[in-house]
Amino acid sequence: MSQTNGEVIVTKRRGLSLDGWAVLLAFALAALVRAGVFKHIPW
Amino acid sequence: MADAVVLPQAQPVRPAVQFFKLIPGVLLLTAVGYAGKLLEQNVGKYAKAHHWTFPNIEYVLWAILIGLAISNTVGIPQIFRAGVATYEFWLKAGIVLLGSRFLLGDVLKLGGASLALVVIEIAVAIGFMTLLGRAFGLKPKLTSLLAVGSAVCGVSAIIATKGAIEADDEDSSFAIAAILALGALSLFTFPLIGHALHLTDHAYGVWSGLAVDNTAEAAAAGALYSDSAGKLAVLTKTTRNALIGFVVLAYALYWASRGQAQAIGNKASFLWQKFPKFVLGFLLISLLATFAVFNKDQIGALANLSRWAFLLTFAGVGLRTNFRELAKQGLKPFAVGAIGEVVIAAFTLGLVYGAQRIFHW
Repeated sequence: MSQTNGEVIVTKRRGLSLDGWAVLLAFALAALVRAGVFKHIPW
Repeated sequence: MADAVVLPQAQPVRPAVQFFKLIPGVLLLTAVGYAGKLLEQNVGKYAKAHHWTFPNIEYVLWAILIGLAISNTVGIPQIFRAGVATYEFWLKAGIVLLGSRFLLGDVLKLGGASLALVVIEIAVAIGFMTLLGRAFGLKPKLTSLLAVGSAVCGVSAIIATKGAIEADDEDSSFAIAAILALGALSLFTFPLIGHALHLTDHAYGVWSGLAVDNTAEAAAAGALYSDSAGKLAVLTKTTRNALIGFVVLAYALYWASRGQAQAIGNKASFLWQKFPKFVLGFLLISLLATFAVFNKDQIGALANLSRWAFLLTFAGVGLRTNFRELAKQGLKPFAVGAIGEVVIAAFTLGLVYGAQRIFHW
C-alpha cells in the first residue's frame, strides 16, 4: 500500500489462486509418480 | 503530503507462518478421514463376527458423520479452522489427479453428453429459481445468487457472482447457507433415492453431478453410491463448473445494464478470470494418460492419491457443516432453495432417464 497526494493506492499482491496451487500440487505429485519416487500409493 | 490519508497498516503475515497455521486443521482432516476408513473396514467385520445385521457403511459416510458430530457438538477450535478450510484445495487437487483415470476420448464423449444436459439444467434452474425468488418476494440480487448457486456450482459460483453484481454480504451469506444446508441434505437423500429407483452407477453419477450444487457434496453424493458413480459425478460437476464464467458474465452484464453493477470491460479476460483452472488441470492429466505418459501402476498410484485427497475433502464437508449456524440464516432463502432443489432434482432425474435411453448407459 502506498500514499500519494492524499490518494491511497492499494496494490493487490499477485500470486497463485487456490485452483492454481491445487493444480500445481497435483502435477508435482504426478511428476514424482512418473519419476518413480512414489512407486506405490496404498489405499 | 499534508492531507495524506492515514490508514492502519496491516501487518504482513509471512507465508511460512500462514503455512504452519494450516497444519493442525489438515491433520484433523486426515485423522477424521482415516477414522472413517478404519470404521468402514472394521465395523462390518465386527458386526459379522457377532452375527449382527449392520448395513455396509462406506468410508465417505463415516468421515462425513464423524465431521458432523465434531462440528455440531464440541465445535471446531480456532487452531484447526484455517486447516479445515483447505478441504476445497484437496478437492481440486483430487479432481486434477482423477483426470488420470479418464482417457481424453472418454472425457470428450462423456463430457459432451453431460454438457448438453448441463446447458439444459442451467437454463431451467436459473429460470425456475428466478420465478420462485420473485414469487417469495426475495431481494432481486439474493434471487440471482440463489439461482447461480443452484444452477452452476454452489459456493464458488455465489462468491464469483457476488463480486460481479455487487451484491450485499448479507445476501451472499444467506445464499451460501441455503446451498450448504441443501447440499448436506442431498448427501443423505440422493443415495437413498438412487437405490430406490435402481439407477445404474452411470445414471446416478450423472444425476448427482447435475443436481447437487456444491462440488464437494456432488463428489461425496456420487462416492456414497459407488466408486464409478463418484467418478461420473465429478466429471459431470466439472462440466458444470466449466460454465461458471459464462453464467457470471451474463448476470454481470444484466445488472450492469440496470446500472446496479460495474460495466465489464474485457469480456474474454473476465471469462478467463472466472474460469476454474482445475478443469484445465484435469484435462491435461487426462491428455497425458491418453498418450501413455503413465504406465498402469502409475495410474493406479495417481488414482489412490486422488482418493486420499477426496478423503480429506469428505472429512471437511462434515467438519464445516454446523446446523445451528445454518439455521440462523433465516427460513425464506432456505425455503426458496429447498423448493428449487427438489424441482431441479426431479427435472434432472427426468433428463437422466431420457439420456439413459438415448446413450444406453
